[in-house]
Amino acid sequence: MGMKRGIMRKIFAIAKKELASHFKSPVAYLILVITISVFNVFFFMILDENREASLRDIFKVMEFMFVFFIPILTMKTFAEEKFTGTMEFLMTTPTSSTAIVLGKYLGSLLFFTLIILATSVYYVMIEFFSSPDRAAILTGYLGIWLEGAFFIAIGILTSSWTRHQVVAAISSYVIVFLVYFSVSFIKYFQGTAESLIRYVCTMTHMENFAAGLLTVTDLVYYLSGILFCLVCTRISIENRLWH
Amino acid sequence: MIRAQNVTKYFGGFPALKNISFEVAKGEIIGFLGQNGAGKTTLMRVLTTYLPASAGKVYIAGMDVSRRSLEIRRRVGYLPENPPLYGNMTIREYLKFAARLKDIPHRQQRPHVERVLKDCDLWEARDKVIATLSKGYKQRVGIAQAILHEPELLILDEPTSGLDPAQILQVRRLIKSLEYRRTVILSTHILSEIEQMAQRVLIIKSGEILADSSIENLLKGPGGTSEDGRRVCLRVQGVRLDLEPAIGGIPGIKLARWASENNTHGIDLEMTHPSGDFNELAEKVARAGGRILEIKESKVSLEEVFLQISGNKDLSHSSRA
Ligand SMILES: Nc1ncnc2c1ncn2[C@@H]1O[C@H](COP(=O)(O)OP(=O)(O)O)[C@@H](O)[C@H]1O
Ligand SMILES: [Mg+2]
Repeated sequence: MGMKRGIMRKIFAIAKKELASHFKSPVAYLILVITISVFNVFFFMILDENREASLRDIFKVMEFMFVFFIPILTMKTFAEEKFTGTMEFLMTTPTSSTAIVLGKYLGSLLFFTLIILATSVYYVMIEFFSSPDRAAILTGYLGIWLEGAFFIAIGILTSSWTRHQVVAAISSYVIVFLVYFSVSFIKYFQGTAESLIRYVCTMTHMENFAAGLLTVTDLVYYLSGILFCLVCTRISIENRLWH
Repeated sequence: MIRAQNVTKYFGGFPALKNISFEVAKGEIIGFLGQNGAGKTTLMRVLTTYLPASAGKVYIAGMDVSRRSLEIRRRVGYLPENPPLYGNMTIREYLKFAARLKDIPHRQQRPHVERVLKDCDLWEARDKVIATLSKGYKQRVGIAQAILHEPELLILDEPTSGLDPAQILQVRRLIKSLEYRRTVILSTHILSEIEQMAQRVLIIKSGEILADSSIENLLKGPGGTSEDGRRVCLRVQGVRLDLEPAIGGIPGIKLARWASENNTHGIDLEMTHPSGDFNELAEKVARAGGRILEIKESKVSLEEVFLQISGNKDLSHSSRA
């Protein structure tokens, strides 16, 4: 058995366990149901007043909802395991910290992907009623997915800092709000600070995706953000600062 | 099997382990004995690679725990103080998950899980959700997880704490059955448990090893003074100033403890008196104007040894319900 295959197996084992635990938790179902019903309401509102069918505004609504839901979804990832002591089990099996972090990330990402997929039913309806801008919708979905993936990485990082889920959720709200809304404070900054904030803020990147623009800068932004959070998570559980 | 050299662990500025060194041979059953807060759990966490030591070295099967932690984890089974269980899984789901993480080859996972389910008497309950189980069951699931990959070294942190008497017996019997060809370390703050389960004991207090010896040697008393000797408790009435030199002056008698209340004295003696009878003692007491109220022989208990070594009177009352 190759070393790599062994690691992949463990990542999948942990991801599967995470996914299953999301499905066993009422919170996750609540998120699923609320997302879809809010989506539903906005879908018909937007469709009603703006006959030119586009998912562009709906992506805005989704983005906004994920700001609120993802910290709730991810808060337990590490905090709960520390609280109940199962972290000690995980970290004394021959499983590397990298595999643990990736497995947990993958599990939450899969659950989130399922939520996104559930909303794609509406896309089919739009196809029925009109001829939408398919490219924009595809990039929009990609953008939303990347943004969610980034927020999940943030949530997992904050969950690795504490044994209390509430603390984990509040910390990730703070960070997610900062990266999501920071562009609103842009008028107080100039020069380098301004362009830095413009880069860090997810809204500016998301706008491009929703407009059908796929740029390397935006992709690099999300992927590097995710990688950064996951590396920090690994460092955090390795050092067990929280214990 | 284990070699620990000058292991020190700081939490912030607080030293939880102070310069601890010891060795454990293959196949030994060793107990860590100490009160809550002594550092047993911390020491076990260092041995299992869960916590890095602040200073010092630990080798398990010749491998440095700080360098080859993954390899060591394959050879060590660990039951933490609170069994680390996922409440929303069934016993079988949990053990299957553990089998995957413990590098058990895919084809052998099922037989391994079934074996420990039977060994730990969990077969009937295998599809029950863990959250619904009683404490005794949970502890056995924790042990099942620890032995799943057939580790050479088994580390059990307070395996019987918090269980009722019937469950304690069950868990003790289970551990006894696991000892074959394994090195086992277990910790406890209950003295009688060490006597029943371990061959050797490390007494730990405030992060230091106070004693490291076999149970047998320990029972012979500190420094082995009462080897072949008798411990005698005496209750005498009289004047202490007259009695103390009279009794203490008898060859072969050593005064271990003297507690007085008014004119009544409780005295512990160690006798290696050649004749072994109490005639001379009675005579000397009478001549000093005293009256013997009671003489009884006593055995050294582990508890007394422990109190002498650690100088702490609370331990005998600290066993949890
Ligand atoms: N993570 C930690 N942070 C700070 N102090 C700790 C930590 N873990 C243990 N301690 C302290 O170290 C000492 C030893 O604890 P522990 O090893 O749990 O003792 P035992 O298992 O013998 O009851 C205690 O005083 C405890 O408060
Ligand atoms: Mg302990």
